[in-house]
Amino acid sequence: MDVEKVRRQLVAPVRIFIVRSVTFVALLAACSGGESPRSDTPTGGTLVISVGGDPETLLPPIATTTTAQIIGDLVYDRLAEIGDSLNTVGDSGFHPRLAEAWEWAADSLSVTFRMNPRARWHDGVPVRSSDVVFTYRLYSDSLNGSPYAVALADVDSVTAPDSLTATIWFRERSPMQFYDAVNTMSILPAHVLGNVRGPALRSSPLSRAPIGSGRFRFVKWSAAQSIELAADTANYRRRPNLDRVIITIAPDMNTALARLAGGEADMLEQIPAASVANIAKDTSMRVLLTNGLDYNFIQFNLSDPGFPSRAHRLFGDRELRRALTLALDRASIVQNAYDSLADVAIGPTVRAYPTTDPSLRQLAFSRDAAIRTLDSLGWKDSNNDGVRERNGVRLEFSLSVPTSSKARVAMAELIQEQFRRVGAKVNIDALDIPAFVDLQNRRRFDAVIGGWHVEPSPGGVRQTWGSRGAQTSGSNYGSYRNSAFDAQVDSALAANTLEERRSHFSRAYQIIIDDAPAIWLAEPKRVMAVHKRIRTVGLRPDAWWANIAEWSIPASERIARDRIATGR
Amino acid sequence: MAAFFVRRVLQGIVVVALVATIVFLLIHAAPGDPFAAAMEDPSITESVRQTWRHAYGLDRPIGEQYLRYVANVFRGDLGFSISRQRPVVSALADALPNTLLLMTLGLIGGFALGISVAVVQVRHRGKALDRILGGVSLAFFAVPDFWLALLVLVSLTSWLHFPIGGAVDPVMYDFLTPWGRFVDRVRHLFLPALTLSLLYFPIIARHQRASLMEVLPSEYITTARAKGVDERTLIRHHAMRNALLPVITILGVAFPALLTGAVFIEKVFSWPGMGFLIVSSIQGRDYPLLTAAVILGAVFVVVGSLLADALYRLLDPRLRDER
Repeated sequence: MDVEKVRRQLVAPVRIFIVRSVTFVALLAACSGGESPRSDTPTGGTLVISVGGDPETLLPPIATTTTAQIIGDLVYDRLAEIGDSLNTVGDSGFHPRLAEAWEWAADSLSVTFRMNPRARWHDGVPVRSSDVVFTYRLYSDSLNGSPYAVALADVDSVTAPDSLTATIWFRERSPMQFYDAVNTMSILPAHVLGNVRGPALRSSPLSRAPIGSGRFRFVKWSAAQSIELAADTANYRRRPNLDRVIITIAPDMNTALARLAGGEADMLEQIPAASVANIAKDTSMRVLLTNGLDYNFIQFNLSDPGFPSRAHRLFGDRELRRALTLALDRASIVQNAYDSLADVAIGPTVRAYPTTDPSLRQLAFSRDAAIRTLDSLGWKDSNNDGVRERNGVRLEFSLSVPTSSKARVAMAELIQEQFRRVGAKVNIDALDIPAFVDLQNRRRFDAVIGGWHVEPSPGGVRQTWGSRGAQTSGSNYGSYRNSAFDAQVDSALAANTLEERRSHFSRAYQIIIDDAPAIWLAEPKRVMAVHKRIRTVGLRPDAWWANIAEWSIPASERIARDRIATGR
Repeated sequence: MAAFFVRRVLQGIVVVALVATIVFLLIHAAPGDPFAAAMEDPSITESVRQTWRHAYGLDRPIGEQYLRYVANVFRGDLGFSISRQRPVVSALADALPNTLLLMTLGLIGGFALGISVAVVQVRHRGKALDRILGGVSLAFFAVPDFWLALLVLVSLTSWLHFPIGGAVDPVMYDFLTPWGRFVDRVRHLFLPALTLSLLYFPIIARHQRASLMEVLPSEYITTARAKGVDERTLIRHHAMRNALLPVITILGVAFPALLTGAVFIEKVFSWPGMGFLIVSSIQGRDYPLLTAAVILGAVFVVVGSLLADALYRLLDPRLRDER
């Protein structure tokens, strides 16, 4: 099983970040060794991936869907690519891409990238440093509304001293400056986009027919049907092993599963728990399990939904929140909703981060302890209706949940029952996604079952659980504020060593676990089904598709569609 | 007659304008906005969302947005789809032909099967075959569309190896001969069109049977029977012409379905048509796309009812002089 391999990757030690200046020669030796041509791996074959929906656009700076991200990462290259360890501190583990080497300035306020002179756009034009300058402008231009511009806030400018040298200048030093700048930008062709900006960017030809420099090139997009990519056989990093990657759209999960079973698709990126057993029985398929970057939780609104300046009638009380946390048997809830395809979440983080200590102290399930605490807080069921009261206020609240997530809806029902047993009444409010998000954004809820998909960097916790995110425009919808937590997160993000980071994050996570502004529920794994003839390598938790160019199909196992000579 | 149609066209324009206004206001009043899904991503800040809202004019008062929309529609600009990042016209132009093709075949199949079943039932009225076919019609009438679609998908794709969804084979299509491409298209079209036909035929069969049973006791039928016309000719050539009139009304009602499609059928068979486009634009609060699709639907309703009226007048001379 590939799970063990992934786990090994996740716990691999990450090198300590040291601000340094190195010579080009030394770096060339260290960085350019990347991917040398492998003559032993057979080339050819077609990989058909089934996804749930069309991307909205294929222009990386404004694309937000996973499908767009998959295609963007296959068609476009970055200057360098994050390693499998997902280290985001310094440049440790980063692989050269369009930049064949890079050099830090002595003060660490700039990094100079040496472009690979062999890199070409798919239309044959050489990739040059002016493309890097252009890309930075495009991402950071507020008129373009790129959601990723915020990650470039620390970048002061990008310059091109010559056609093969690009320098990124930073406003201040930070451990993640390299990751923020490099991981954010997929380098775009200046000669194709020209001076297009603002709303016109969305209707530019590149939005639907990308021209990149990655190992796959775009072939065609049949709306709501499929998107086809083909091997860039003359790519500067060697042609990919596969000839073609076809992404087919199947909005209905039953159809997607039927396509997989019928051999029309080779891969489904996320299969429902109920279908895992059936797929596992299929001798032509493999089920792959990897740690994901998602976690979900019950988020309490600590502010009154009607009067945000006031504390919530129930959840303003830390001890009540802790009592409710004790009342939930999270292990059984997660087991019921996900079977073995999720772990119990341990806090506002995921196990895939090297900065996460999975042994954080939890508020362990104890119904008796919950009942004792509620009693001691004065919550009593004086009228024997099964619901506790205190000073005329009933222990009753709404729990909003998005209907798009069957697992969350299932968990809501189990939670309702478990809270009932300690005298708390939960009214489930199932909403479609736009209505659910609107409710969160306006802070008009008692409690929600929320979920976050996090990036490789753990820094997002500042926005989702920190005081800064508690502002009206932030993503800390429950309005949790704790300056000690904020300070530990800030220290973690400023730390230059993994040990130091991990230590500060652990303290921050412990503070928030003890404060219980949320009950951490599940950390779902990514469950994929892949045809056995496909040899997968390097399934990264943040982007399983990152190494598709290295996937292969042995010649002896190829089927009809693998043998098509595309001639493109 | 001409005055009647002019009046109906004018009424139609008012209906379309009203529908457009109502749907515009309703979709804007629904909770959430087109960027709601993006709010699930903590990296997308409020300032970015504001930039997006500004780019699409969603930060303007609703009245101004409406007036701008109306002005643009009169200029032939239906707007820019937010969820698909392309002009609405272009998104509709991709989906509409697929839906028209599928629904036309579904309707033709449904009408042909329904009328045939009704004729057989009437010829064997009161006998076992009549009751069996009536029961079969009722069973298909009662089956939910998504359930029937899944049943057809699972059974026929595994037994008869029909392709599972989509309009063409995305892997092989470009490498097929012209004849191979035609066959591929037909194979992909067969299951969704069959499912639609099976869903439509009970309605037609039941109406057609009732209508034929109503016509058969007529004096002109009795006269024809007395002249020795055989039962088959009697039903096909004498009774059918009058008995078709009520079914034509159903055709008028079914015509708008040509546009809106069958949502579940399109979803189950991954058919890239209008039904799924409309549903996803509601879920994604894609205001311009949804409003344009509904306007188009309203136009189809108006045109459908006009066509039904015209056909009625063509087949029933008594109506031609009606004002």
